[in-house]
Amino acid sequence: MMENGADNPIIVCENVKKWFGDFQALRGVTTSVAEGEVVVVIGPSGSGKSTFIRCINRLEQHQEGRIVVGGTELTSDVRNIERIRSEVGMVFQQFNLFPHLTVLHNITLAQVWVRKRTRSEAEERALELLERVGIPEQAHKYPGQLSGGQQQRVAIARSLAMDPKIMLFDEPTSALDPEMIVEVLEVMRELAKTGMTIVAVTHEMGFAREVANRIVLFDEGQIIEEGPPSEFFTNPRHPRTKLFLQQILSH
Amino acid sequence: MNRPSLAPPTRPPFWRNATFLKWAAQIGVLFGVVALGYVLIGEAAANMRAQGLSLDWDLLTDPPGIQLGEGIFVKPDTGMEAFYTGAVNMLRVAMSGILAATVIGAVVGIARLSSNWLASRLATAFVETVRNIPVLVQVVFWFFLSSILFPVLQEGSSGPIPGLLLVSRKGISFAWPFPQETFWQWGVFLVVGLLTARWAYRTRMRRAEEMGEETRPLTWALLIFLAWAIVGWFAHPLAGAVGWLFGLLAAQVGAIPVLVYQVMLALAALYLAWRWIHRFLESRRSPAGLAKLTDDDYFRMILAGVLGTGGAAVLLLWPGITELGANVFQALLEFCDQKFDFLRTGAPLAIGQPSVEVPGRFAQIADTGMTMTPSFFGIWMGVTLYTSSFIAEIVRGGVLSVPKGQTEAGYALGLRRGQLLRMVILPQAFRVILPPLGNQYLNLSKNTSLGIAVAFPEMVQVGQTMFNQTGDTIQVILLWMGFYLTISLLISLLINYYNRRAQLVER
Repeated sequence: MMENGADNPIIVCENVKKWFGDFQALRGVTTSVAEGEVVVVIGPSGSGKSTFIRCINRLEQHQEGRIVVGGTELTSDVRNIERIRSEVGMVFQQFNLFPHLTVLHNITLAQVWVRKRTRSEAEERALELLERVGIPEQAHKYPGQLSGGQQQRVAIARSLAMDPKIMLFDEPTSALDPEMIVEVLEVMRELAKTGMTIVAVTHEMGFAREVANRIVLFDEGQIIEEGPPSEFFTNPRHPRTKLFLQQILSH
Repeated sequence: MNRPSLAPPTRPPFWRNATFLKWAAQIGVLFGVVALGYVLIGEAAANMRAQGLSLDWDLLTDPPGIQLGEGIFVKPDTGMEAFYTGAVNMLRVAMSGILAATVIGAVVGIARLSSNWLASRLATAFVETVRNIPVLVQVVFWFFLSSILFPVLQEGSSGPIPGLLLVSRKGISFAWPFPQETFWQWGVFLVVGLLTARWAYRTRMRRAEEMGEETRPLTWALLIFLAWAIVGWFAHPLAGAVGWLFGLLAAQVGAIPVLVYQVMLALAALYLAWRWIHRFLESRRSPAGLAKLTDDDYFRMILAGVLGTGGAAVLLLWPGITELGANVFQALLEFCDQKFDFLRTGAPLAIGQPSVEVPGRFAQIADTGMTMTPSFFGIWMGVTLYTSSFIAEIVRGGVLSVPKGQTEAGYALGLRRGQLLRMVILPQAFRVILPPLGNQYLNLSKNTSLGIAVAFPEMVQVGQTMFNQTGDTIQVILLWMGFYLTISLLISLLINYYNRRAQLVER
């Protein structure tokens, strides 16, 4: 597997910088992700890892540097933003399902209005995806009636329904009880096997070790170290990486 | 295995039995309330007799000998006419005020959230100024403002826009399409147009969802409504057929003996009670069977049964109620009948333009345009702007109450701003906005009683004039309370209905 996603990159970031007021969240991030690659982003809280992946689909606006996704550059051109958002799916820590719509309607809404599919096509696709994430029987319930793990799986199905080329996961298991973490990770693992390009921020080191092609460590808005999990976990080069790994793996 | 054996269950004595105590409390409260009411009313009646006050309702039928500033009956012949005028005036302020306050409030509330700096600052300034000044002061302010700022009315006055708008100290008069005698016939076409437009909107919307194509439902609905309105403008005599239908119905209603209605209504009352109990039991039933009913459940069902049978008994034993109802219904049908005629032609609306007349020494605004008197202007501006500032805050709060994650999820899925607002944000904000919005509607309605400060003849002002004339204070106060209670309950009912429909399903 290519070290830095060098050939056939689908996401290219070049010296990306971002400030919140006078606080600099990203201090020049340069990296790229190849098609089909699974990248896990880790780092202490406040290190900018969430901000970074939120920049990839313009939920946050970077102020310096360049981000090119699938050949389209993120600028203030509204059409580019729309194009990239329709190719990039995102799963959030807090699920963010639409509470006033049924599970099925949550999954069909954007298919109908953004992808311009017919209602029946969209419903068929939705049921297929619910089957895939293991909860076809919940289709007609409302999000408030589901457990956290089920909600997160619906959120994944909702993103997948748009047939994205890239999936972004922003701490998808951080708000879940332990037994529900397993079911969500299982779905993500399956997804990785299908060759989907994934960028995930997570603290699940087991998942990272097993599924990721590459681990990226963020600290203070910069990439400290990146590499395949075998190397990253066993033979970290940077002292900051060693410290971080000690902290999270010690218990 | 050696299980410990339980002693046989014992029944507690009734004074410690929770079930018995609960029932005793329910019945006790009921008797307490009835007894208290009986004592209070008896006491009040005795005291009034002792002071020579009577609780008769002659004031409604006697000539009140008063004159009202504006309204349907400016010189009412009976007290009833006076109160009717006051009620209609109040409703005019309340309805138009609620409508305007909602629109202004929504616009200002959303402007406060806008990223447009100037718009948000202006909106903030408006809200903070208006909501922090007592509404009575504002009512008086607008009333006096109109008498200071506006020009004196003279014979040749034609206002800032001749023929359309006339502004003077005697009021603001503007051109208005007044309904003519054929308006009802045209109205039939408008109603049909509205219904078909609604149907078209829904089918086009469904098509958009099912086929995933742009169907412009709003344009379709508007065009269809317009088509009906235009056709109806010329073809309205055709709606005379509706009048014939009303006439036929009225004759039928009069022909049927009262006893038939009594029996039908009594049966309806019994049926409603039965249906309520039936539905209640259904709601307690799950696939696993009927749930164990609590005492409260039994109490409710018994109450429903008692109310149903009681209603049926009253209807059967007291034919007067049914007769009155039937007569009113028949009169209503005949009234509608008179509004339609095949032979009635002419435009349904006629534009009336403002003009000035000089009947005596002083110029006054003629009856030709739609006129807003300074009193109406004062009370309307006062309560509308005051309430709109609160509605603005409610709307802002509602939109802000939708978590930011909803917006992000919508954007991440590729929804556009408008789609996101319409399908994700507003439906959720609406649930939060609705209950406090209803409160503001109630406040506005009740605040119209401040019209008395600027001599606007609404319910309170009319009532006060009436009891100054007749001395029937108690009756007037009862009328006031009954009137405001009815209006407020109607508004609450409407809001609660929508509120129930908008609730989120959780667990």
